Amino acid sequence: MSTIDDTGVVAGVARLRNATTLPTMALSLLTVLMGWLVLFQQVGETNEYLGLPIVELFAISVLVQGLAIGGLGVASYVGALQSTSDRTAGLFTGAFVGSLWAVVTAVLVTVVAGLRMVYWPGSSVWIFSGIPVPLGILLSLLGGVVGFLAVVLPREDLGATLPVSALLVPLGMFALVGPLTVPWTYEPGWTTVVFPGSEVLPFAFFVTSLLGCWTLAKISEGFGATGRQRGAYYLIGVSVAATLGVLGMLVYFIVDKGFATLSTGASFDGWGGRLVLPVVDWAVPWFDANLPFVFNQPGGLFVDVPGVWPAILGTIWLVIGALVVAVPLGIGAAIFLTEYVERGRITQLVEVVTNGLWSTPSIVFGLFGMAFLMPRLSNGGRSMIVAQLVLGFMLLPLVLITSREAIISVPDEYRDASAALGVSRWKTVRSVVLPAAMPGVITGVILGVGRIAGETAPLLLVFGGQPYPSTKSPVSGGKGILESFSFSLQPPFITNSALTERGTALPFQLYTSITAGSSPKPEVFSLSEFGWGTALVLLLVVMGFFAIGVASRLYFRRKLNYE
Amino acid sequence: MTDLQYRIRDYRQRTAPGAIAIHVLGAALFVAAAGLFWRGSGLFGVPLLGMVGLTAVGWRTHQGETARGLTLLAAALTVSVMLLIVGYLLVHARDAFEHMGVELLWMLEGPFWEPPSPEGNYSLTPLLVGTALTTVIATMVAAPIGIAGAVFLSEMAPERVRVVVKPGVELLAGIPSITYGFVGLVLVNQYFYAQFQTPTIASYFAAGLMIGLMSLPTVVSVAEDALSAVPESMKSGSLAMGSTEWQTTKSVTIPAAFSGVSAAVMLGVGRAMGETMAATVMLSHSKGIPVPFFDVFSRYGETLTTVIAQEAPNATGGMHESALFAAGVVLFVSVMSLSIGAQYVEWRMYRKLGGES
Repeated sequence: MSTIDDTGVVAGVARLRNATTLPTMALSLLTVLMGWLVLFQQVGETNEYLGLPIVELFAISVLVQGLAIGGLGVASYVGALQSTSDRTAGLFTGAFVGSLWAVVTAVLVTVVAGLRMVYWPGSSVWIFSGIPVPLGILLSLLGGVVGFLAVVLPREDLGATLPVSALLVPLGMFALVGPLTVPWTYEPGWTTVVFPGSEVLPFAFFVTSLLGCWTLAKISEGFGATGRQRGAYYLIGVSVAATLGVLGMLVYFIVDKGFATLSTGASFDGWGGRLVLPVVDWAVPWFDANLPFVFNQPGGLFVDVPGVWPAILGTIWLVIGALVVAVPLGIGAAIFLTEYVERGRITQLVEVVTNGLWSTPSIVFGLFGMAFLMPRLSNGGRSMIVAQLVLGFMLLPLVLITSREAIISVPDEYRDASAALGVSRWKTVRSVVLPAAMPGVITGVILGVGRIAGETAPLLLVFGGQPYPSTKSPVSGGKGILESFSFSLQPPFITNSALTERGTALPFQLYTSITAGSSPKPEVFSLSEFGWGTALVLLLVVMGFFAIGVASRLYFRRKLNYE
Repeated sequence: MTDLQYRIRDYRQRTAPGAIAIHVLGAALFVAAAGLFWRGSGLFGVPLLGMVGLTAVGWRTHQGETARGLTLLAAALTVSVMLLIVGYLLVHARDAFEHMGVELLWMLEGPFWEPPSPEGNYSLTPLLVGTALTTVIATMVAAPIGIAGAVFLSEMAPERVRVVVKPGVELLAGIPSITYGFVGLVLVNQYFYAQFQTPTIASYFAAGLMIGLMSLPTVVSVAEDALSAVPESMKSGSLAMGSTEWQTTKSVTIPAAFSGVSAAVMLGVGRAMGETMAATVMLSHSKGIPVPFFDVFSRYGETLTTVIAQEAPNATGGMHESALFAAGVVLFVSVMSLSIGAQYVEWRMYRKLGGES
């Protein structure tokens, strides 16, 4: 507890503390970053920097961090380093460090005691030599508990540092002088898998440096509440950044590899206006471009570059069908539940049902479509109309939930004002409530469509046709959907033969390019090249829907705020 | 009973006779259409067309009442779709439940799965183990990182970062699962096969990692909503007492939003459990219980969802198909209970935060 007279001293102490902690923190952040890059194969694990292999540099870094953390902790405890240490380092730190201790103990147990699974001759059982599995688990739990207590029981400056140091220093040492080197392998015994040092070590360095960075951040603020705040911010910030990096890399991979496929045979010849969209036969004005992967069909003799056009059309038709099913039903039900029924049992029940419907796995919808709809609508075969209905049912709960929220959020003053003018209830709904709720409804629908467009599992059960169709039509009969309507005087009066055909859609096309086992034209695309291209097109379509949905929400929200 | 009678009288007094006729006729036509459809008759289109005609007439004469009837119909249809799904799953799964009894869920010695024989064993135990393994791994990825991400977004990130990252997370939540599956198959599975020498190219571990990564945005998004819903006054109160921002987050915001955050995790678990495509393309589709059961790198790989996706398109009716429906029932029941549990804790939280009103 410093008084005003101490400030000069405190500032001096803080400078001293920063002089030791900040460079070490920079070192640990760098190690976290490099460890991440090695872990995700962006930097080779045998690369050399500053004349040393990268693993040895990691080891030195972890060793330095461990020594610095331990030293600073002890220095704070004996009073050489002024700090505002609390009584304990806290349960969360204890749990985090303790679980790492448990993992290390588990590894040590399997290495030292030689836990190993062997086949017992003459019977069909596998048994373990060495110590029994439950004992191994018990020992590692014990290690975890010891680590936890070592963190929680002593004063914060010891509890937060020494148990961490005890993880970092041995790791750094053994990695520097052996045996934890790149050729080292870890065979845990309970599985046939072999953990190679080249992959395990970068991971270990990544985790321990993250731990080191967290602890050093605490030390740099002199422990206490402010120290823990800084530590938590570093820990969370770095792990969020690492995760965003992984997700970003995933998208980058798809874009990077897919683009090579997408641009195969593509050309842009100026502004002549010869890019003709298939099926609708509409020449895009000005553009004279060629994008065969998008506008070609995958199969067929005369196709030089196989493409995904039928799948794109199929996805568009599925989305249209799902919208036709879900939007009127969902909005209608939402109006009924908000405008015509009092809030109570019934609305609550419907709420639970819709939320349940929304979280029901898509494959279950597929089963339902297969068992109930297929025999009734397409003679037991897979078909476009069943797929549209199934996707529509999947979209329904989202449309209902978002429309309900949008309608509820329309202020009651609007309704009262309308009623005061003598307008009937339905006319109020139609001309006052619905227009005001429309933005929310539209946004919800677009976001839902994004999910529906990428849905694959039910399509396998109720829609999927040939892997590589040789016509431009989305259904395997080869006829357009619109041309196939035929009317008659006999029931059911309207028939559409194309709607009862199986076909293809973008996510299904991607699935078939995984399972078909051969590319449509191996001399142009390998199987995975075709897959990457399809994945990119699918991603663009789905992301397009989502971007429109998110943008429209931002737009409407801003508009509402300004009103 | 008297309540119902009162309601009927009320309805009759308030509604014009023509509108009542339209309601009754419409209901009759709808029941006829539904009945014909149920029995698999192609004639269901006739009453349906009749309904369209009736609606057209009603719209001109009694618009308000017709609209009311139509919205009631929409609500009823939504609920009945749900009931139909449950009912159909149960009806089709009954054979498998009767055939296998308890062994459908609990069976330790193979053979577990003998399609297409109607007399053979069909036990879901290996699939349950598979679902449990992938779900646990996915949760271990998605829950801590997801909560950290939510805390970061709602409590730490400056407004400028938040505006970009929040929609970005929602975009990531929309990436189709088959895309994750394709990346997982081509990159992640290959990586584990080449570096860790997994027995087959597929493993529960790789699939679980990918599923976890996939359900991460859902967890972040829902947990962030819950954290943002904590009233600013609660946080200000804590800050005014001199606690740091992190102390406020840790001791006020997170406990207040605890139910919402756990609902987010439950939703994420449900998403991971029901995840089909990534698992289907990343697992080996061989059924068995690994030894020891937590060996996530074994040669086995099949979950409740993947078995349906893999085998239902080619199942030829009978016991095999019924067993697949039984898998659907188990899946549906577990995900549904997670969903209801999440709704319950969320409802409790908002009631708590909302105070008396």
